[in-house]
Amino acid sequence: MFVAAVLVMVDYFLKIPGTGPAVVQLQNWGIILTAFTLGFGAVNLFYLHTRHISRRTPGQWPFSIWILVMIVVTAVIGVATGATGKQYSWWYNSTYFALSATVYSSLGFYMTTGCYRALRARNVEAALLLVVGAIALLRNAPAIAVGVPIIIPMEAWLSAVPTTSAQRGIMIGAALGAIALGVRTMIGRETGFLGRLTEAERRGGT
Amino acid sequence: MSKGKGFWARLEDVPREVLYAILLIVFIIPMLNPMGFPVPISDAAKKWYATIDALPAGSAIMIDFGYSGGGEPELGPMAAAVYHHIFRKGGLKPITMSTSIDGTLLWDKVIAEVNPEKYGRKYGVDYIHIGYIAGTETAMAAVGKDLRATTNTDYHGASLDQFPIMQGIKDASSFKLLICYTTGGDQSEGWVRQWNTPYKTPYLCSVIAMMVPTMLPYQKAGQIVSLLAGAQAGEMELLVGMPARGIKSADVITLTHLLVFAFVVLGNIAHYGRKASERARGG
Repeated sequence: MFVAAVLVMVDYFLKIPGTGPAVVQLQNWGIILTAFTLGFGAVNLFYLHTRHISRRTPGQWPFSIWILVMIVVTAVIGVATGATGKQYSWWYNSTYFALSATVYSSLGFYMTTGCYRALRARNVEAALLLVVGAIALLRNAPAIAVGVPIIIPMEAWLSAVPTTSAQRGIMIGAALGAIALGVRTMIGRETGFLGRLTEAERRGGT
Repeated sequence: MSKGKGFWARLEDVPREVLYAILLIVFIIPMLNPMGFPVPISDAAKKWYATIDALPAGSAIMIDFGYSGGGEPELGPMAAAVYHHIFRKGGLKPITMSTSIDGTLLWDKVIAEVNPEKYGRKYGVDYIHIGYIAGTETAMAAVGKDLRATTNTDYHGASLDQFPIMQGIKDASSFKLLICYTTGGDQSEGWVRQWNTPYKTPYLCSVIAMMVPTMLPYQKAGQIVSLLAGAQAGEMELLVGMPARGIKSADVITLTHLLVFAFVVLGNIAHYGRKASERARGG
């Protein structure tokens, strides 16, 4: 693992001739493993939901039957007609796509009630959030931005200065954390991704 | 609402079902009767358009359909408008891959909407889809390093060698531009790390609106040439001269944003009204 990680890193940063083909092989292994995990996920779903069905888990088992039926039907259509076939495409558009878009769209309703109840000027900080939220809200409404052009530079400043600087701080913090995690994984100190217990867990912690 | 609550308290605590119903009505009206509100074209949209327009003939463009079904109503119209531009300009080689598992199916939807034959464009000659490649960032890195070693078939399983558009396409250096439509940070940020940084491929990125703040630092750093929210698809449609779903959505966005603003104002009036009435009662 250490050798593989060093090889990929060296190739990314230093471009040493000769390492390319080995890195391509490693990356292709990664792609194959990821594809394999999709199948593994389906097996895991079967394992989990057949347990719910056999135990008649209250409030769950009818939905478990439903998900298993849908997995089987989707797989059969995909295998029989091809993953880019018209029948599979129709099935996807009529089931997953419609539901997925509906669930995502329903966020708009939650956000609307959230804005009504949360964006209140209860104190100075909340008032500040309210003003910034109102500017962003109005700027992102196309026709309002045309009618009240002053909000365009106001929102541009909010995006360019406070938002970007805060986001940069978050990104740099996350990157430092990722480096630390990467180094620990490379030297074998972090084995959680293999399903093993961490040192703290071995000592009885969480 | 409990019995005995005052007017302001009841207004402050309006049942969510009432707010949902009003929002639904305001949402449906412009969908059924588009109102044609003005849509300002942002500098980012103009820059996106100009970047594609400036590409010399024969330039290959890597396009990632990295969004899932939930993001289609926002990103689908954007992708369609950009394809209209690419096909109308002609001479470009849009080569698409998907880092999202349902990207190939969503690509089919967009292509059916755009109808490349209308521009005289043929699959395999003027455009192609090389399929879903698992692994997200690993897939981006592998395709950038050696496309044929990663996949040698299109999304139907046909050999890439038989398609004229794939001649001379080897790795990231074969591409003059990268476009990504995505609902995921792994994709939008991954392309910066795996293509823009090592190969300096100019990068156009379109994400769902809530992801824009996350991506702004990359744009400010020059790693993204232009960043657009899918909700700005109407702007791209106006630039391309093909008004469609994006423009219709712009009316909905304007009205619903106005409604939410009105709700915020009403909520604050109710809040201060209740406080004032409590003070008046000595509460």
